Amino acid sequence: MTEEKEKKAEGPDRKLLELLVCPVTRSPLIYDSTKQELISKAANLAYPIRNGIPVMLPEEARHLDELSL
Amino acid sequence: MNGPPPVFDRDLLNLRRLRALKTMPSADFLLTHVADELSSRLTLIRRAFSVALDLAGHTGFVASRLAQHPGIDWIIRAENLFPLVKDYPGTKLVCDPEALPFGDGTLDLVASALSLHLVNDLPGSLVQIMRALRPDGLFLGAVLGGETLSELREVLLLAETEMEGGSSLHVAPFVDVRDMGLLLQRVDFRLPVSDSEVVSVTYDDMFALIKDLRAMGMTNMLHARRRRPLRRSTFFRAAELYASRFPTGTGRIRASFEFVYALGWKAHSSQQEALRPGSARVSLVDVLGDKGRAGGEGPAGAVS
Repeated sequence: MTEEKEKKAEGPDRKLLELLVCPVTRSPLIYDSTKQELISKAANLAYPIRNGIPVMLPEEARHLDELSL
Repeated sequence: MNGPPPVFDRDLLNLRRLRALKTMPSADFLLTHVADELSSRLTLIRRAFSVALDLAGHTGFVASRLAQHPGIDWIIRAENLFPLVKDYPGTKLVCDPEALPFGDGTLDLVASALSLHLVNDLPGSLVQIMRALRPDGLFLGAVLGGETLSELREVLLLAETEMEGGSSLHVAPFVDVRDMGLLLQRVDFRLPVSDSEVVSVTYDDMFALIKDLRAMGMTNMLHARRRRPLRRSTFFRAAELYASRFPTGTGRIRASFEFVYALGWKAHSSQQEALRPGSARVSLVDVLGDKGRAGGEGPAGAVS
């Protein structure tokens, strides 16, 4: 029970993810649950999810090169 | 990016807001007031909103007021700084109010308290809010108006000119209620309403006011600000001028804060709309008869 609660606290709100788009290109995002990132292929950016909170700031996002995709 | 240079130093503003986070509880009365006011405006609207966004409300006061409205199912808090939402128990995210990450037509209500006057591109932010709203969605916001800190603006200008032989910007340019109304229309918000309210707050002296502004994270964050601090003597002269020009009668000083409230709906077929000029099918004369004619018993201008 506590484990389940902890898991839930770590992951982002799935309902929220459905509403989000890339703030730079307004294109859809792909949720990477292992890396806890939201990937915008159009902008080549991976927005971090910290403590389950999506951080939708381009300056905080990781730049993706061709290889890592 | 082309366009005019940014007015506000948002990085500095962020630093100020983080610092304010530690002292906020002593100086959050303006935000409490505005959150209550927004909430009471919402009470008058008999409509359910399934998804509501508290956009950059700093403290979560707005979100907590929204939670009291039975018609709202789900509240999301968005701030541009992680520490501001970190401990909030509900749904939250970090984003820039000038680059919203919400898909088109995903929100039913966007409520914003005292932050949109600090964006560099207010029309752009309103356009983005409009896009994120569903048809018949509501924008409800409050920004600081042009009367805000007019007294402080005046005495700093006078004291700096007098003591240092020049002046610089100390108080940000805020939004005028008429501008807000025009802006809502320009962005095509339907049934737009904007109004303003001036709240007068009293302080012991100018230094107590500035201390409070610092606790709110509201001290100067203009790009064009003077980078060198004012001389001590200039500050004391300003405080003296403040006390003599804006006394309360009980030995204190008064400071004005103007709130400009804005409300507008995203277009929907259910909303009433004015007909195009010249599209009327019935003459007013047929309806009003003689009363409508100039010189008749009715109002003279009725048929013109």
